[in-house]
Amino acid sequence: MSNALEVRDLKASIGDLEILRGLDLTVPFGEVHALMGPNGSGKSTLSHVLMGKTDYTVSGSASIDGVDIMGMTVDERARAGLFETFQYPTNVPGVTLDDLTAEMAASNPSDNGYEERTAAASTRLNMDRFRGRAVNIGLSGGEKKRSEMYLLGVANPKIAILDEIDSGLDIDAVREVADMVESLRSSELGIVVITHYNRILKYMSADRIHVMVGGRIVKSGGAEIAEELEAKGYTEYQVAAVG
Amino acid sequence: MASRRSDAADRLAGLGMPSEREEIWRYLDLDFDPAFASAPSAPGDAGAPDSVIDGWEGTVVTIVDGFVTTPGVSTVAEVGEELTMVNDEHLFATAFTAYAPGAALIAGDLLADHVLIDVQVTSSATTFPGVHVDVASGSDATVIVRLRSTTDAPATVVPTITATVGDNARLTLTIIQDWNYQTRSIGRGVVELGRDASLTLSEIGLGAKLGRLHLDVNFLGDGSTAKVYGAYFGEESQTLDYRYFMNHIGMHTRSDMFLKGAVADDALSVFTGMIRIEKSGQKTEAFQTNRNLILSSGASAQSVPNLEILANDVKCGHGSTVGPLDKDQRYYLMSRGLTSERADRLQVRGFFEEVVEQIPDKAIAAWARERINGKYVSAQEEGRV
Repeated sequence: MSNALEVRDLKASIGDLEILRGLDLTVPFGEVHALMGPNGSGKSTLSHVLMGKTDYTVSGSASIDGVDIMGMTVDERARAGLFETFQYPTNVPGVTLDDLTAEMAASNPSDNGYEERTAAASTRLNMDRFRGRAVNIGLSGGEKKRSEMYLLGVANPKIAILDEIDSGLDIDAVREVADMVESLRSSELGIVVITHYNRILKYMSADRIHVMVGGRIVKSGGAEIAEELEAKGYTEYQVAAVG
Repeated sequence: MASRRSDAADRLAGLGMPSEREEIWRYLDLDFDPAFASAPSAPGDAGAPDSVIDGWEGTVVTIVDGFVTTPGVSTVAEVGEELTMVNDEHLFATAFTAYAPGAALIAGDLLADHVLIDVQVTSSATTFPGVHVDVASGSDATVIVRLRSTTDAPATVVPTITATVGDNARLTLTIIQDWNYQTRSIGRGVVELGRDASLTLSEIGLGAKLGRLHLDVNFLGDGSTAKVYGAYFGEESQTLDYRYFMNHIGMHTRSDMFLKGAVADDALSVFTGMIRIEKSGQKTEAFQTNRNLILSSGASAQSVPNLEILANDVKCGHGSTVGPLDKDQRYYLMSRGLTSERADRLQVRGFFEEVVEQIPDKAIAAWARERINGKYVSAQEEGRV
């Protein structure tokens, strides 16, 4: 059976700067993985490269549910089942969430479940009063994350990559986001939570934790890794990666 | 009155085409024959009644080739008045005074209902349609001026729209420039605001080979306010030129200008904004914003905001941008599954929506939305943007 996401030997650079240096990652359906690493380890680059942002020179392979996505445009990857929540979601002036979800549905005519999912996600995340407002404009940090989770619910992806979903939030909002992630768990979805800190992991369970340093994953394991990081920080991995 | 007209005719003989070296005509291609002698002595055949703006209801006044053709609507001259609100001395203003058959007087009971003035040009003759709106003190008026060609003929038009808004009165004025792409329109507007009077003016710029609108809003009365919106879309070799002057004379007056435009193909747009605050205009607040999207490499936009402030206790601000579609928005929208074409259409729609949603009449706003976005969709489908 194929996995939600499979990444093999992924390399990415901008000019002479190598950011991803041979990354491997497998996320089976039904699992939640945490990808942790210090600033500059390449976490956000990984999400951009998987999404197909064209700023990078890329090699290696990535597939969603067994379908190779490397040759696809950004929107093709999204329709193939990849959804990323942005750390800083872009403001779209004059365009409401309802306008956006209508266009998402129109862009993917073979999927007729948008209407139902829009209604369900709106109720679940209490989004009704935001749907007539411009996308991301004037929203608090927590509201932006909720709006991104709402769009995730509408899109119904196979793999969700949640980039720094806990950054810039107070502790109540972190807990709220953790609950949203938990409620997404399903046998038809793989989830990767990218985070700098382990605080969100106190409120949700990750099936597997990966430590990313210097553009590759240097250690993978269970919950014990988060505790170890909390006690010792990233230093030993950074030394090992450089060495 | 007759002497004003004949004086103008006399002066006209000595006037040539204005020079593009003068600031007021900068950026415009004036290398054409204005053919004033072709001004007709009677209206041509009117086009079909205006049924294009679905959902709009009110009184329609028709002006064909400069002549008011709706029975019961007088011209300013017919009621023994004289319009002196436009004081320009250049060729086009002088020609208007000399040749215009008479500005439609939109006042009194006529303004009890919303009024749409359907200004039609039927041939290639040079014509001088005029509209004067007189909003009595304490009353409310809603007027739409739709400027359109009923044929493909290249024409020169000098439309002149003036309005006085009395003390405590309100005018909602919408001007739609919907000429064919061969027509040159040298438009002029002057609005005078009394004490605590207010104006909401929206302009939708769609058609014209050369579409100039030179607008003065004179804040004569203390406490007068104006909101001025504009949305324009130029394509092919169109030039759309806006020259908007807010002249604050009374105290505690306020103006907000907010114009958004896009240009494709080889089109040019020009925004020359002026906030002028006289010494008497203390406590004035005045703001101007002009944003432009450049959709093709051959297209260009000039955005020139100006401030002239003679009073010392005022608040002013201006902002102006010219640039392509935003790449971050495109990436974000595509990451939600939208094709790049749909992402760009949505971005353009959102860009204009910030202005279009301000148009008070929802039927007119819906019509403007469809026409402007339609221009972008066609350009996209034809691979021009």
